[in-house]
Amino acid sequence: MKRIRGIGAVAFAGAAVLVLSGCQQGSATNSGDGGDDGAVTLQFQSLSDQPATQAAVKAIVDDWNAENSDVQVKIVQAGWDGTFDKLVTQFTGGTAPDIIHYEASSIVSFAADGYLADLTDYIDGDLKADISEGIWDSVTQNDEIIAYPSTLQSYMAFANADLLEAAGVEVPTGDSMTWDELQEIAKATTTGDAHGLGWGLGSPTAAMMSLALGFDGTFFSGEGEDASIEVGDAELAVPELVHEMTYTDKSVDPTSLTQSGSEVLASFYGGKVAMTVQGSFQATNIANDAPEGFNWVALPPLEGSEGAIQAANPQTYSVNIDSEYVEESAEFLNFFMAGDNLAQIAYADALIPSSDAARAEVEKLAADNPAWTQVLASGDGLVGPPFLKVEKYTEWKDTIATPAFQQYLANEITSEQLAAQLSDGWADIAG
Amino acid sequence: MSSVATKVPRQTKRVGHRARAQRREAVALVIPALLPIIIFSVIPLASGVALGFTDATLKRNAEINFIGFGNFIELLGDHRFWGSFGIGIVWAGSVALLTLVCAMALALLLNSDLRLKGLTRVLALIPWAMPPVVIAIVWRMIYNPNSGPLNGALEVFGIPGVNWLGDFSTALPAVIVVGVWSGIPQTTVLLLAGMQSISAEQHEAAAVDGAGAIRRFWHITLPSLRPIIIAVTALDFIWQFNSFGLIYVLTEGGPGGRTMIPPLFTYLEAFRNREIGYASAMGDVLVIAIMLILSLYLVNQFRQSKGSRA
Repeated sequence: MKRIRGIGAVAFAGAAVLVLSGCQQGSATNSGDGGDDGAVTLQFQSLSDQPATQAAVKAIVDDWNAENSDVQVKIVQAGWDGTFDKLVTQFTGGTAPDIIHYEASSIVSFAADGYLADLTDYIDGDLKADISEGIWDSVTQNDEIIAYPSTLQSYMAFANADLLEAAGVEVPTGDSMTWDELQEIAKATTTGDAHGLGWGLGSPTAAMMSLALGFDGTFFSGEGEDASIEVGDAELAVPELVHEMTYTDKSVDPTSLTQSGSEVLASFYGGKVAMTVQGSFQATNIANDAPEGFNWVALPPLEGSEGAIQAANPQTYSVNIDSEYVEESAEFLNFFMAGDNLAQIAYADALIPSSDAARAEVEKLAADNPAWTQVLASGDGLVGPPFLKVEKYTEWKDTIATPAFQQYLANEITSEQLAAQLSDGWADIAG
Repeated sequence: MSSVATKVPRQTKRVGHRARAQRREAVALVIPALLPIIIFSVIPLASGVALGFTDATLKRNAEINFIGFGNFIELLGDHRFWGSFGIGIVWAGSVALLTLVCAMALALLLNSDLRLKGLTRVLALIPWAMPPVVIAIVWRMIYNPNSGPLNGALEVFGIPGVNWLGDFSTALPAVIVVGVWSGIPQTTVLLLAGMQSISAEQHEAAAVDGAGAIRRFWHITLPSLRPIIIAVTALDFIWQFNSFGLIYVLTEGGPGGRTMIPPLFTYLEAFRNREIGYASAMGDVLVIAIMLILSLYLVNQFRQSKGSRA
């Protein structure tokens, strides 16, 4: 009997050791340090997915590591897909990295849950002054700056110049183009086997919310938990236009409305659609992936009744509040955000840098690239949108707005029903 | 009678000593095997159930309060959850039934004495060897509205292509087809095993009596397979009701929530809305609901089999 008990005890101890070591492997305390000579190692979770951007990020980190032997930064490469879920588990499990790359509209949820360090006192004074108040505002939560805003995306129309020419349409130039112009061109370029416009609105909410600002469609007013929603003509202007173009003019490819932006690019390259609305970052992909001899242009920024205004929803770099090295992380980010560095990243990603210094640098880098002129022009109309201040925006976006917009764009419900779903759904969530 | 009655207690007394020692031995041997089950299954399950009665969120250092049935009362009025519940029933029910029908046909085919029997049986198992995510990615390509082979084939016959996963009316049927496809192999294997245990004499006797293939299937194969059919359909229903990966990769619950089955909905509540307490309550409700549905089904089956025996 004694021996049997002994075996039991050994087995129990063995199992316990296995379990405990399993728990310990990925814990937060482990991620912070680990250098051989007492040097601090910072985990930097980067989402940059384009090869050129990854190279730019790596070059900046290598520069930093060469200069700062006591604070070493290690890049942990991740992808944009599923980042929210990944961060939720990382934060809850205590294994989140020190420096976190994400975007403003989604990171605010983590700030609201208390996972992000207040960076207000760490941000370099010159950098602070060099970025507009509106952009800082988009990463400020309860008077705490919870992230460095780095690059911004705008929505732009790209056109197949040959198809426009074949339809006898002149490629629009000028500082901006109206939605009516877009509609006209789409009508003119719609032929038997090609649609005028393809728009990857499979996940429609971000684009609809951003472009509504051009018509002064703000959706939300108020902040935090007291925010209220109003869905009126201004908010519905863009979805109604897309709906009209799809089902009345038949100039929008209805299939594209259920796809992602990159899936629509395939139709764009194949000449199935004459124009496509995409995030500005796709300019890089089009330049790299378009077939030989594909003649494309970036069209001027889209202008609503209130101007060519879109939402500023910058990519962000935040610091984990539970990191042992918040100050060191912020120092690295100050270096990372310096004009030259940020310009390299923005240029590689075809995104608009947040700081004026980086912008000037990008203008130099892209002096002879016509698509870039339009990318930068569209950056002038970026303003901090009200929805970034709304605490439950992500919930509303994923569980209410996305299905509602999808139903409307599939012609399943009317615009009145869309408005009702959007506002009633908010009432349910904010409840 | 009386002699037996007096014998039995004496016997237990005699082996009592050894039995007790054996029992202790058994306990010592079972503990190491039981520990992982308790640590990795029972404790998480119990804490998951318990979370359903709290207002837990995924906030940093969140304060967790016991709120009794608060979550369940809120859930009762949550029409989006019940909408998704309905979709889940349609999905799991149709996948389980269609899988049974298709697998039965396939098993009959594989059971008949055809050439290359070995090869075809292996081929029929291939979908089983694929992880759900891979299956979903492959079918996404097949369903692709612009470049998928399915629309390509339709266009050859002059039929306009369909946006299978994007269209509101075809999205759910399209994912059901994928569910059936991935579920067929294991059901087929179980049915095939059942068919092979039916003695050939029965079929021969029926054939001698002049029964055709259909009558033999109806009166011999089907009744003998009955327990297997019940078990396999019930298991399929549970698995499909709880399946997540397949639909998550295929449609992510879209378009417009048309394929939002309950596990996806619960997942969104837990990891997007970070209301882990409310999501756990949903999980509790789903378990209870499945048990209710299944017990109805099983009780009904028991009654029928009892009735037919009587």
